[in-house]
This record gives sequence, structure tokens and C-alpha cells, in this order.
Amino acid sequence: MLNYNQALPKDTLIQDLQMKEIKPIMKLIIRGKKREFISAIGKSLNILLPTEANTSTQSDKLTAVWLSPDEWMIYSNEPVDENTNNYDTEEILNNNISKLNLGAVTDVTDQFVMINLKGNKIFELFQTGSPFNFNDFQNKKGAVTQTILHKIDIIVHNQDKNMVNLFVRRSFSQHLFSWMNDAASRL
Amino acid sequence: MFIITCPFCGEREQSEFKAGGEAHIVRPKQPTELSDDEWAEYLFMRKNIKGIQFERWNHTHGCRKWFNMVRDTSNDEIKAIYKMGEKPPIE
Repeated sequence: MLNYNQALPKDTLIQDLQMKEIKPIMKLIIRGKKREFISAIGKSLNILLPTEANTSTQSDKLTAVWLSPDEWMIYSNEPVDENTNNYDTEEILNNNISKLNLGAVTDVTDQFVMINLKGNKIFELFQTGSPFNFNDFQNKKGAVTQTILHKIDIIVHNQDKNMVNLFVRRSFSQHLFSWMNDAASRL
Repeated sequence: MFIITCPFCGEREQSEFKAGGEAHIVRPKQPTELSDDEWAEYLFMRKNIKGIQFERWNHTHGCRKWFNMVRDTSNDEIKAIYKMGEKPPIE
């Protein structure tokens, strides 16, 4: 069943740091090792999968982020229609990837919550609860990392200067958001 | 606390990883031909060396890939890191 309820209580603005949930964003995890898999994705979606670690690529409608050597997450740049959970992108990939046994496609739209952060204290906030070294990361547009924040697994995508998309599992999202609000108030 | 260089993601802090025990333990080709003692030796018995040890590690909170590490257990110095299936760079 679709879960399009707001996962997080409300958008917040603390110390010039804006945090809000963007929904519904289509998110797909794709896995595959073969060379044909990568070229089939490129042809189907008109997007090149990033092969370099901790990077991402973007097209008009989609963003592909590197998760591991054989795993990527594709998410929509804009919110999708709330009334359906059938996505063109997923259907295209099911036909061109899954049915041809080139790789696996998993819809994780409802599994992950996307939090958009804006402001110049984003990385100061992250540094209070993450073991990851954000020094180089924050200056590299399009950089991606999977790490821990407040002992919770997150995916961070450095979308632009002072703008970051953070993905967290839905069941942890409220707790993390609450912690982020508290930590931001102490920056 | 120490820094581990994941062969896929780069330098990360130890808390992102999980240790997976001794590396390079080969499963017997014919388990049915082994005695109970030999099977127990394969299944349970692990070296617990003070010094250079070959270990498996998993980047649990990152790329979730397994890799091998040569670590000095007496001072946590990492001698080498290499991917699964590769030969150890140190004897």
C-alpha cells in the first residue's frame, strides 16, 4: 500500500538551516554487474550511471547516485504524481533490465524519505554526528556518500552549494529529523 | 578507533565497518568424508594471533561490500587491504 503520508512533522528553519521533506520522490535501487546492464540503463533512461565511487550523474528528470560498484539509486528530480505508484521509469527498467535478466530493479520510493537541506551550516550539522570527513565532500558538487548520522544509515547527495539531499529509511526518519532539529539549534 | 580504506569507497572511520572473522578459510571439498573433529576444526576453530592476522571486513554502513585486511592485532596497524578473491599482498 502506498505510504504518502508526511513522514516528518513539519519543515523547519533553524539558524539559517532549512530542512524539509520532499515527497513523493520516485526512488529506485538498481543492481547489475554486466556491461550490457550499464549500457541498457543509459539507452533506456538517457542517463549515464556513475562508475566512479561516491559520485552522481543527472539528467533533466532523473539523478543517479553511486552506492556500490554494482548498485545505484535513481531518483526523480521533481515530485511525482501522488495518485499512483506506477512510474514510467520503473516500467521501462522492468522491461529493459529485469525481464532480460541484466540486473535487478527495486522500487524503494516508500522505503526512503528524502530530506532537503539548505543553508550554509549543513556540514557543521553533519559534523556533530557523523564520522565521515566532509571537508572535500562539501566542495564537490554531485558528491555522494553513504555513512552514519547519529548512528543512523544515511545517503547524502551534495546537490549544489549549500543544498544537500539526505535519504534515510522511513522508520528512522522521524527520530533523525528530531535529532537534526535539536543539533541545529545548538550550532 | 582507526581509519580503514575501503577498496571501493575510500577512507572511512572504523565505526562504519564490521569485522567478519578470519579470512582465507577454505570449505572442504567433500564435507561428508571428514571426521567430526576435522569438521569442527573447519567450522569453529579460529586462530587468535597476537600479530599479523588476515581478516575479512564488511563496509556495513557504506557500500556493504566484503574485503580482506591484513592487520597487526597488537597495535591495530593495517598492513594491507585487498578485494575478495585477490591474493594477499603479504605472505
